[in-house]
Order: sequence, then C-alpha cells, then structure tokens
Amino acid sequence: MQCSDDIRVTTPSEGEDGTKIEGRYLYCVADSGEKVSLGPIGIDGGEVYTVPYKDVSAVVHGCPAEPYQSSDAEMVKGWVIAHQRVVDKAWEKWGTVLPLGFDTIVRGQGDSEPCESVEAWLAADYQSLKRKMEAVRGKAEYGVQIFWETRAIAKSITETSAAIGRLEDEIRSKPRGLAYIYRLKLENALKKEMETKADQCFRDFHKRIKKHVCDLRSEKTKGPGDDRLMIMNLSCLVDRDRSTDLGEELEAIDRMEGFSVRFTGPWPPYSFVGA
Amino acid sequence: MEPTRDSHATLVDLLDRVLDKGLVLYADIIVSVAGIPLIGVNLRAALAGMETMLKYGVMQEWDERIRAWEREKRAEETVPTVAGDGHRPVETTFSC
Repeated sequence: MQCSDDIRVTTPSEGEDGTKIEGRYLYCVADSGEKVSLGPIGIDGGEVYTVPYKDVSAVVHGCPAEPYQSSDAEMVKGWVIAHQRVVDKAWEKWGTVLPLGFDTIVRGQGDSEPCESVEAWLAADYQSLKRKMEAVRGKAEYGVQIFWETRAIAKSITETSAAIGRLEDEIRSKPRGLAYIYRLKLENALKKEMETKADQCFRDFHKRIKKHVCDLRSEKTKGPGDDRLMIMNLSCLVDRDRSTDLGEELEAIDRMEGFSVRFTGPWPPYSFVGA
Repeated sequence: MEPTRDSHATLVDLLDRVLDKGLVLYADIIVSVAGIPLIGVNLRAALAGMETMLKYGVMQEWDERIRAWEREKRAEETVPTVAGDGHRPVETTFSC
C-alpha cells in the first residue's frame, strides 16, 4: 500500500527522542484536498499537517500510539486549548471543518502506517463526511444558556398567582398549628407553579430561538454555582450572517426581569457532526 | 447581545465540546486503553487517567454505547466481514 503521507520533514517516522511515531492525532476534517503543513502548532508543539483524500483532508500530527492522559488538570487544559487552537486555525483557513473530540488517535493496522488508516477512514466515510460538511457549511455553533434567579421568579409568582394568594390569606387567618400545614401546602404549590413556569419558559424561548437557527440541540442543564438556576442549555447551529438576529432575540430575553442569558461562540460545529 | 469566546470565561464551554463531542470514527483504527478505543473522552476520564476510570467501571456504559454504535455502523456497510469473529477485516477494501 502506497501511502501519500510522505512529507519527510514534517512527518518523521521517529521523534526527536527516538520514540516511534506510530499514531496520528486527529484535530478535524477540513474542506480541502490540499496537502500542506500548518507548522508546529499542535499539542506539545506537534507539527500539524493535512492528510488529503480527494477534496477533503484530515488535519493531524504524528505521535506515539498512546493517548494523552494526565492527572494534572492544568496540563489537560493546555492540551484541550491547543487542540482547539488547531481546529480554529484550520477553520479560519478552509472555512468549513468537522472537528473531532480530544484524544482521537489513529494507529496503523498490522504492517500498515497510521496515515494509511487515516486515508482509509476518509475513503470509507467520504460520503458521510461530505454530507456533514454540507450541513455545516457557512455556519457556526453557538452556546445559549438561560438562567433564572430563583428568588425573583418565586416572588413574581407569589405576587401574581391567585391560588398562592389564597393560601397566603389562609395562613394569616389560621391558628399556628394549622398555619404550618398551610405553609407546607404553599411551598408545594409554589414549587409546582415554578415547574410549570419553567416548562412554559422553555417552550417559549425554544420557539423564539428556533426562528434564528438552522439546528439546535438541548444539552443537560448545569448548576452555575450561585442562586441562579439554568433552565436551558442549547447548542445552536447558526448561519454566520444571522448570528446578530439570534443575539437580538437573546438580548430581549436577557432584559426580562429575573432572567439572564449566556451567549458563547462562534464555536466550530462540535455538536452537529456526531454520529 | 454579542457572543463571547473569551478564553477564561468560556473554558467550561470549550471543555464541554472538545471532551464530549465531535466527529466519531470507527473504533478499529483508534488507539485504545485496555481494549477500549478512545473516542470522545470525558473530562473526568482524562483527568483521572483512563486506567483508573476503567478500574472503577465509570467508562463501561460509554464503552457499550460506542460498541453498539460501531455494530450498527458495521451492519450498514456492505464490506464482507470475517465470519463470526466480530472484527472488521484488516485487509480493507480501500486503497490509498
């Protein structure tokens, strides 16, 4: 099998310290059949270059066939940031990329070189890669997280809900023992109303955001670590020239009393290239 | 409202994406630890080291998911497989 991964200078079969380079770390698949080196911009200064097949190419660096792993969080962070820097560079250069997750390393099979595995993969998945490429062309991913301030929302529900108002009146008119029971009732009622309200908001915001995006995915919500509650965590695929529309819609939500929005990006389309 | 990608403020957003998402490729050609191919490693796994995570079974579900996905992918393909052993033939039908 003749492998085209023969840029001698950039892909030595042995590293400087004599370790065998038997793997290829994958950063992304780029929308170009160009065979080119991007320089020593990879993880740990690895020389990054392309392995082309037809009109697409894998952006890789040569490394031992071992995962990057460490118990040092700072080191892992550094690797992840380096990974992203390469994907960004390729994204900037070629306009459309399909990013891979951290630590995807291709190895050779039997006697064959790892670059042959990379090419074989590009060849085997070519149609699917092209389809994915078309789906994200001219688009970028944005993260949208919507929070509410639990106290402010509870307050506004208490002020506007008739059922809760009635329970509050009851508490005031009951003797202490009974009032306790009513207080529990009140707490339950408030909890229910807040859940209903969260559902309503989710549907409403979802509808409003959907108008401005090509595709969106609901991710798990996370605690931000303060008294705010994340009620939505979305990954949105957006036409690059329409991100301002999305920004305006989010601005309107952000201005609502008790709500706040985090808007991050543009990210390479990590959430829209998976299986 | 302008989106931000300030590297300090969005580190978690970056990790969420780079560690859990992205393009997936078939497991046969991926570097593996203890027989489990590394695809979409999660942060805890990367931090604690694969071996530890495997020891405590944290990655088992994930591994099963990947294998199931892979089986499905194999079933879709018309490449003849070696009877019964469950492995994609190394002599691939592709040439490069």
